[in-house]
Amino acid sequence: RMEASCLELALEGERLCKAGDCRAGVSFFEAAVQVGTEDLKTLSAIYSQLGNAYFYLHEYAKALEYHHHDLTLARTIGDLLGEAKASGNLGNTLKVLGNFEEAIVCCQRHLDISRELNDKVGEARALYNLGNVYHSKGKNVASAGTHDPGELPDDVKNALQKAANYYEENLTIVTELGDRAAQGRAFGNLGNTHYLLGNFRSAVLAHEQRLLIAKEFGDRSAERRAYSNLGNAYIFLGEFETASEYYKRTLQLARQLKDRAVEAQACYSLGNTYTLLQDYEKAIDYHLKHLVIAQELNDKIGEGRACWSLGNAYTALGNHDQAMHFAERHLEISREVGDRSGELTARLNLSDLQMVLGLSYSTNNSMMSESHVVDNNLNGTRPRVGRRHSMENMELMKLTPEKVQNWN
Amino acid sequence: SQPLAGCQAAELQSKVVPSKQILHSDNMEMEPETMETKSVTDYFSKLHMGSLVYSCTSKRKNK
Repeated sequence: RMEASCLELALEGERLCKAGDCRAGVSFFEAAVQVGTEDLKTLSAIYSQLGNAYFYLHEYAKALEYHHHDLTLARTIGDLLGEAKASGNLGNTLKVLGNFEEAIVCCQRHLDISRELNDKVGEARALYNLGNVYHSKGKNVASAGTHDPGELPDDVKNALQKAANYYEENLTIVTELGDRAAQGRAFGNLGNTHYLLGNFRSAVLAHEQRLLIAKEFGDRSAERRAYSNLGNAYIFLGEFETASEYYKRTLQLARQLKDRAVEAQACYSLGNTYTLLQDYEKAIDYHLKHLVIAQELNDKIGEGRACWSLGNAYTALGNHDQAMHFAERHLEISREVGDRSGELTARLNLSDLQMVLGLSYSTNNSMMSESHVVDNNLNGTRPRVGRRHSMENMELMKLTPEKVQNWN
Repeated sequence: SQPLAGCQAAELQSKVVPSKQILHSDNMEMEPETMETKSVTDYFSKLHMGSLVYSCTSKRKNK
């Protein structure tokens, strides 16, 4: 009696998760666990699916707990394939939680067992997971500092190089297996790894492959991702025109897919690209579009960046009044979100602008007129050479991982 | 036509050409993770091989 009802509850959980309702699925799986079963293999399957459901719901601590239960059970009953799968899932979860060393151990276990069982599909999947862990590890260490892609400390470079090797190994197998979807995933992440390593040509080649496969599948989200990543790579190749073309494709698809956050990101990228092309009118146009969506999504960080970008573009055009307006907004928002470096940058921008405006409006040509525009509402002391660095200060405004998650 | 102001403004404008570093919003788009999946129906395939939990299936078959 109890057996059947545990099974029925679990089956309903599976159905709901497959239908995309993980939250409801979780309830049924947890009910199934409450009822309990003598059959450890069934229980292991329930734990595994609970772990995955929580993973998709971004509740990683719970995902960890259940994948760990699953691993323990699989070992208890001597289910080697089950142990491999649980290890892989545990590895992925540990990766998201930033526990890279343990993640590597688990993913390696997934790989070893798959090879032992001569399971090519499992081996390929484990290699992809390992690539992802090393990619995250490299990116994580890299984000602690600020540098362009390609200018990296050795430990970061080593992790990223390992990631690239794992993706390549994965590609060899999935190509043999003829698994195009898996190839697409590996190409995308390989491209991003090359990008971080500063191999921008290789990044382009990989993302072009990814694009091709996305089109084969009619997968418009993947297609949009590839365009965006291609745009990024072309920026660093200094080919801004080409980058703008790819970002425009990104924007087009974002609008088709009705994804406002992604649309905002595309507008921001385009604004930046046109700034690099020194076409400030177009840059302003896109940054304004970005600003509108950032406000709509109540994304303060994005709004601050938009104001900062707009201030710069208007300054470049010599429209100091508008520049002043956006520099003031940037200062306000930086204070609001507690962004100290943004605040500093905004202050420097404002005092520069006040200087220029003060001088423009001044009827006195002598240097003395500067004293009229001494920071009256700015009590930040300006280092003499500070101005040169004010743009560099923006590097500190880079989004932190948590903020990026809100942004995406 | 104020040379000093003009000079200041020009200097300000020349600083506006930002480095790629600053502009770059660092939003790489990663591919999704793949999780390994298990199903309780794996359990049914076991049953064909003479599983211990026979009683349960006979109930299921009656449904």
